[in-house]
Amino acid sequence: MGIVSAVISLLLGIPFVAALIAPTYRRSQSPYAKAGEVGPLPKEQPVSLRFQFQGTDAFLRQTETHEVWVVKHSDSDLTVFSPICTHLGCHYDWLPSANEFICPCHNSYFSITGQVLAGPAPRPLDTLPYRIENGVLYVKWERFQAGIPEKILV
Amino acid sequence: MWAPVKTWINDRLPVSAVVRWGLEEDIPGGSSFAYVFGSVNLILFLLLAVTGVLQLFYYVPTTDHAYESVMYLRLQVPFGWLIHGLHYWCAQAFVVMVGVHMAQVFIWGAYKNPRQVTWITGVLLLLLVAAMAFAGPLLAWDQLGYWAAEVGTSIAGTVPWIGAFLQRFTRGGETMGQQTLSRFFILHVVILPALFFAFIVIHLAAFRQSGSAGPWEAEKRKQAGRFWPDQAYRDILIASLVIIILAGLCVFWRAPITGVADPLGRSITPKPAWSFLFLYQTLKVFKGSWEAVGTVGVPLALILLLFFLPFYDRNPERNPRKRPIALAGGTALVVLILVLTVLGQLSQPAAQGASTGPGSPKGVPLEHGARVEPNAVAEPNKSTAILSEKVASAGVQKGRELYRSQGCAACHKIDGQGGTTGPDLSNEGNKGRSADWLATQIRNPKANSATSIMPPYSSLGQEQVENLVAYLLSLRAGGGQTAGEQEKAKPVARGVESRQLPASGRQGPPGEAATLIGGTKLGHALFADYCRSCHGLEGTGKVPNPGSEKGIVPGLNPVDPTLSSDDPSVFAVNIDRIIQHGSVPKGPQPAIYMPAYGDGMTLTQPQIAAIEAYILGLNGVDRAKIIQPGMSPERFFLWTIVAFGVICVTAVIPFLIKK
Repeated sequence: MGIVSAVISLLLGIPFVAALIAPTYRRSQSPYAKAGEVGPLPKEQPVSLRFQFQGTDAFLRQTETHEVWVVKHSDSDLTVFSPICTHLGCHYDWLPSANEFICPCHNSYFSITGQVLAGPAPRPLDTLPYRIENGVLYVKWERFQAGIPEKILV
Repeated sequence: MWAPVKTWINDRLPVSAVVRWGLEEDIPGGSSFAYVFGSVNLILFLLLAVTGVLQLFYYVPTTDHAYESVMYLRLQVPFGWLIHGLHYWCAQAFVVMVGVHMAQVFIWGAYKNPRQVTWITGVLLLLLVAAMAFAGPLLAWDQLGYWAAEVGTSIAGTVPWIGAFLQRFTRGGETMGQQTLSRFFILHVVILPALFFAFIVIHLAAFRQSGSAGPWEAEKRKQAGRFWPDQAYRDILIASLVIIILAGLCVFWRAPITGVADPLGRSITPKPAWSFLFLYQTLKVFKGSWEAVGTVGVPLALILLLFFLPFYDRNPERNPRKRPIALAGGTALVVLILVLTVLGQLSQPAAQGASTGPGSPKGVPLEHGARVEPNAVAEPNKSTAILSEKVASAGVQKGRELYRSQGCAACHKIDGQGGTTGPDLSNEGNKGRSADWLATQIRNPKANSATSIMPPYSSLGQEQVENLVAYLLSLRAGGGQTAGEQEKAKPVARGVESRQLPASGRQGPPGEAATLIGGTKLGHALFADYCRSCHGLEGTGKVPNPGSEKGIVPGLNPVDPTLSSDDPSVFAVNIDRIIQHGSVPKGPQPAIYMPAYGDGMTLTQPQIAAIEAYILGLNGVDRAKIIQPGMSPERFFLWTIVAFGVICVTAVIPFLIKK
């Protein structure tokens, strides 16, 4: 009797648990989305750019809007930062008067190169892959695990 | 008549026995108002269950409809405001009353042998309350709930070893989204309530096993009272009082409206619900590699401390005066939690722009300057082989266009036209300013003068700034030809400009924001950043707009009567089309025009909704007006008071006097 119950439980239990866990590992692939023209961007000064692409969230098809911080070094060399603080996932902001990025949640400060200057952030700001084609910047949206010293895709 | 039915039922189902078991309970030392909290919590739980189920008749657990369905319930379903409000306020009160209940049990020493299981199940119920309070707010998919859950699940991600899995499992994927909402929904309305019911039954069964603890003095315990009716009346009296207070809160202090969740929102400082603030504040103490201590260690230690209390505090003495260490420890813990909660509530981000928090004093619009507005980006000059003189004059011309498109005239005056907030620029070319100084002033005004209130236009490109500087240096009032005269001599420019301007406004349909109910507090902060420079403080300023038919930027307080409406949704649609698609004022050459904030993605839809709620508020229209109250909330409250009075006078008071 006990063995029969155990077999039935396993037979049903494994698929049931798998249904809850497996979908969470499905990685949504974002395209390289057009974020704007490189030409007008100021040099060595962070600018926040927004861009959109068609994404899917489970069964919902929707327009995703994302934001990145871009620092232009030259027309072919940029740094594209994810706008998400590496500490606990808040959105940080650029403070021109201090020349620093600051996250309002737990007061993490970052330099213009993304290095941690102060606060609890465990690693520098995350950079995102980008391409420049004919002077137009395309950014690939990615998310990284917050709160740990390593930059790992979630 | 009744007796045979009763017998028939009781022969088949032990109804009377169960009722007797529930009511016939000895209370050593007699009934007391000190013992009402358990019953009050039970009643609060039932009220939460009932209002929760009622909300489910209207609630839709998807990210694209959750917020709207909650707002529909709150504003358009008769008594929806009461159902939602009671659920909200009961949830807050529940946390407080559970704390009071535990404190009472602790002081009375009622957790000691043989009541360990009652205490342990109580601690488990406390954890369930915490889990409910964590999962619940996200369901509304509003700013507060979204960011609390975002931070909360991120904290889960910092747990050693299993953090990544835990975060992924609670979110249902890598980021917050539909799966997160589904998971929190199932937790909040199915799994946790089921566990709640089960543990309440176990808690009560364990409680009845050893009975009420009563007073700590042995002599006082000798005379026993009864639960029914002595204690029950006291319980009901206090529970009614609590419900009246909750109804009053629903009527006079509505649950906050913070606007739909905005994942892009840098405009909100995420904080957890007040009941978790002490943990949030603790987190700030532990940094770097110590972080796991704050995220996992402290909460776990606290739970274990509570859970095993009856096992490490085995002294049978119950009199609080003879338990100084226990009492001191308990008091210290409560004081620590209260202090941390207050600190967490008061804590503000160290530095902030106007956009990160409402009411920031300086009002330096960080975002405004730092964002590239697609409309504002001028076409790069493509011509290559032009004589240097022509380049210079083309630069002046482009600078003048930029001066207009960036809205500089809102604050600065040239040749008698423009605002007065900033200095008159008519004679800027004769002031001896260097080109570098002017360029810095445009990009980062604070570098020239720390007290400058000018917003930094850091989004302008190198060439654009050079053009603006060239234009400014060409302004020489009274010394030869002014730029204004040059302008009149060159009507050619108009063709270029009209190509850059957006098509005359109000052409497109209203955007998503028109149907979203935004929060006025956030709207106020955003207004200061994006709208104030042209529409004036609180929308009243008459900022000059030379070249337009009216000569000023339209005020928003009061707004153009053709846009206004008493119906908040109509009002919102009217102004939404302008905010989404922009608008060019009538007139020969308007210096300032309204940018397309929606089309240009300068503002997100939730942000536009917030600004609309604020503008409606300026015009005396509540965006979150209750459209179908069922009964006026104030009148409802009056009826509650009357009902309570009748109950007191007819039943409770005579009973207590008789005693």
